[in-house]
Amino acid sequence: MSSVPVAAYLTLALILFCIGLYGALTKRNTVIVLISIELMLNAVNINLVAFSKFGMIPSITGQVFALFAIAVAAAEAAVGLAILIALYRNKKTVNIDEMNDLKS
Amino acid sequence: MTFSGELLAFLCLALVAVIGGVLLLNLTKVVHMVVALVFTFISLAGIYVLLSAEFVAVVQVLIYSGAITIIMLFGIMLTRHNDTSEPKGGALKKIFLFLGVLGFGVAVYIGIYNLDFNPQATTLHENNTEQIGMALYSKYIIPFELTSVLLLVALIGAIILAKNDNKKEADKE
Amino acid sequence: MENAWIIPLFPLISFLFLLLFGRRLKENSGYVGMALTFLSLIYSLVVLFDRFNHPTYKAEATWLAIGDVQLTAGFEVNQLNALMLVIVSLVSFLVHTYSKGYMHGDDRFHIFYAYLGLFTFAMLGLVVSPNLLQTYIFWELVGVGSFLLIGFYFYKEEAKAAAKKAFIMTRIGDVGLLIGMILLFWQVGSFEYDAIFLAVEEGAISAGIITLTAILIFIGAVGKSGQFPLHTWLPDAMEGPTPVSALIHAATMVAAGVYLVAALFPLFTASETALMTVAVIGAFTAIFAASIGLVQTDIKRVLAYSTVSQLGYMMLALGSAGYVAGVFHLMTHAFFKALLFLAAGSVIHAVHTQNIEEMGGLWKKLRLTGPLFLIGTLAISGVPLFSGFFSKDEILIAAWTNGNPVLFWLAVIAAFFTAFYMFRLFFMVFTGQSRSEMKNVHESPKVMTVPMIVLGVLAVVAGYFNTPWFGTFLGDWLVEGNEALGHGHTEGPAWIMIVATLVSLLGIFLAWLMYGKKSLQRDWLSSRMPITYNMLYNKYYLDEFYALSVVKTTKGLSVLLSYIEAFVVEGIVKGVAGIVHGLGKTGSKIQSGQVQAYGTVAFVGLAVLVVVYVLAGGYLK
Repeated sequence: MSSVPVAAYLTLALILFCIGLYGALTKRNTVIVLISIELMLNAVNINLVAFSKFGMIPSITGQVFALFAIAVAAAEAAVGLAILIALYRNKKTVNIDEMNDLKS
Repeated sequence: MTFSGELLAFLCLALVAVIGGVLLLNLTKVVHMVVALVFTFISLAGIYVLLSAEFVAVVQVLIYSGAITIIMLFGIMLTRHNDTSEPKGGALKKIFLFLGVLGFGVAVYIGIYNLDFNPQATTLHENNTEQIGMALYSKYIIPFELTSVLLLVALIGAIILAKNDNKKEADKE
Repeated sequence: MENAWIIPLFPLISFLFLLLFGRRLKENSGYVGMALTFLSLIYSLVVLFDRFNHPTYKAEATWLAIGDVQLTAGFEVNQLNALMLVIVSLVSFLVHTYSKGYMHGDDRFHIFYAYLGLFTFAMLGLVVSPNLLQTYIFWELVGVGSFLLIGFYFYKEEAKAAAKKAFIMTRIGDVGLLIGMILLFWQVGSFEYDAIFLAVEEGAISAGIITLTAILIFIGAVGKSGQFPLHTWLPDAMEGPTPVSALIHAATMVAAGVYLVAALFPLFTASETALMTVAVIGAFTAIFAASIGLVQTDIKRVLAYSTVSQLGYMMLALGSAGYVAGVFHLMTHAFFKALLFLAAGSVIHAVHTQNIEEMGGLWKKLRLTGPLFLIGTLAISGVPLFSGFFSKDEILIAAWTNGNPVLFWLAVIAAFFTAFYMFRLFFMVFTGQSRSEMKNVHESPKVMTVPMIVLGVLAVVAGYFNTPWFGTFLGDWLVEGNEALGHGHTEGPAWIMIVATLVSLLGIFLAWLMYGKKSLQRDWLSSRMPITYNMLYNKYYLDEFYALSVVKTTKGLSVLLSYIEAFVVEGIVKGVAGIVHGLGKTGSKIQSGQVQAYGTVAFVGLAVLVVVYVLAGGYLK
């Protein structure tokens, strides 16, 4: 049938997820953190679509949910950016390590 | 595993995606990082095609490589990015985190590396868009409508968040 | 009768309605409460008359099913319930009406009526409950209602303390009730009265357990009905508004304890010891409270102690197997005590003091209250032809025929005391000279006097429902179809009635000598026997005793504990705190507010868990 096993797709997703995670937790620039989160979401989408084809019961549902995830990701990006801009206005910086309002 | 065109395509696309991700981590300029990620997004669209999800692939190109990247670029341009220096004293944290991510990755990889569900022949590639449409407008109509509400809320929320302070500052002055 | 469940709902509606809209209705909320309790009264009367011609009606539905055990909720109309419904709703309605005048001008008028509604609801619900669990729920609701009402003037320190005292004291009794209830459930497997009685009759419960549960339940009744030694809350409860005192003392709260014993009467009769306990506590309370009542100077407190004493009578009657006598006295007492309290409220309303030393010569000024108060006093003293005479007579006969002369003579002496201090009260308030400037004393408005007149009539005629002269209609009806409750009427020697009459007349005469004609020195007792007088005046120092024994001990213990806490515990804590402090300082450096740092820690923790999981075998088995 298919010459590419499902494990390959899952591994790719795993690698991308790890990269996204590492980026999200290390990068100073908030924009990049947001983008890294998008990358993680994308990795999840790969999983969804891969299971939609190779899962126990292949069906279209996986793809539909990938679409939903994309829609939510778009909304998240928009709101995230808005928050970023509001923050930038107040703090004059986009560096995440200077946004330590949680402290005290 | 036989060597086939599909496998070749997968390997190429996966390679581009991973390189894009690695570049994201290693480039110094913010704009470059975003552009590196565009490669990842587009190659992921290719992966979707391989997975018989043409519609998702198109949406991927539109939303991720198009909309989200552009938004991010706007975000970058609207804010100042004069410092490219890495934070001091973050090395320990980075190593710590790297080990954590690595351990996590290996642990999950052990779980998935020979996962197989006895793939069956599917019809997902036939009229893919039509199938999605059918599912979306029958079985998933309520989540679909809720998504529209979500997007609306996000839209309004984003506008308010980005605007509110302007007004206040104007009031102050 | 099928719709008897609706009776308690009217006051509940009143409560909820006034809670929601009372603020807007202001004093008109009184009419809402009156109208709704009037509906309950009408309905109760219908049910009562219905009950004359029909057998007991009982309806229930499954409330909870836990395994095989089914808890039911429902209502029952038997003779006792029907009678109690009428008593409670009638007194409640009259108190509602009376309060319209008494509480006039109070800022929290509507709240008062809302509480009255809640209280009445709880009591009516208690009365129709067919099982112990439901009874217990309403029992506690009654407690809450009384707490709210006694503490109605919560800005007064004493009222606050009294409300707390009432709540805690009754709670002590409630623990007994709860344990007894649980024991019964454990033994019988049901909270149903009928099931319990059946089990008792069949001998399914061992005699020891019956005695134990009966006494435990009686402890609950002791708390609620103000029996010795848990009576001290009752006189303090006088801090509430006077109509509340009337309601609590005549028809609701304190009657609940007597009602409970009466409702569970078959359980009590199954155990000699339990009956004996009830009788002894009752008799002791009767004479104990009456002796305190001899010297009190606060008009409401005298009445309060007389209530405690009369409740002791009822308990004595029940304990002497005189079911009819107890219930009968409960009914007559409800009427004349409510009358006395309302009349006392009217007096207080007129002269704005509660100290009887400062009153006097009010007979001419309060043309209506005076005679009504006299009727109440005659009734409670057991003067022939008034209701108290007949019911007290029944109790004395029950005590005598039960074969315990000591209890009988105690009751007789208590009757003498009762007659004496009630007339002492009457003479001091209504005869003689005005003891202070009371120029603008005036009779209460109609809305207050009419309920009193109704009660006055009832205080006279209520006795004729069950007399040895005209037939024991009430008694026969009460025990109809239930042999366990004893006979409708017990024949006693005729001299008992004569003794009772003589004793009460003697008490009145003595009171008249001392306080009316003043041919005997008023301070005869206080000068001859100052110790006795002081002891009585200070209520046998029981409050002080409690303060010393319970409160002081607890306080001493807590002081000791506080030292242990300060040095031992604190030392350990400080040591620990030092370590934690050091850790915290390090930790606070980590608490940098950096989201990414938090995320890193959280994620690495997860990663470690996952890795450990995999290494331990995990999902690869």
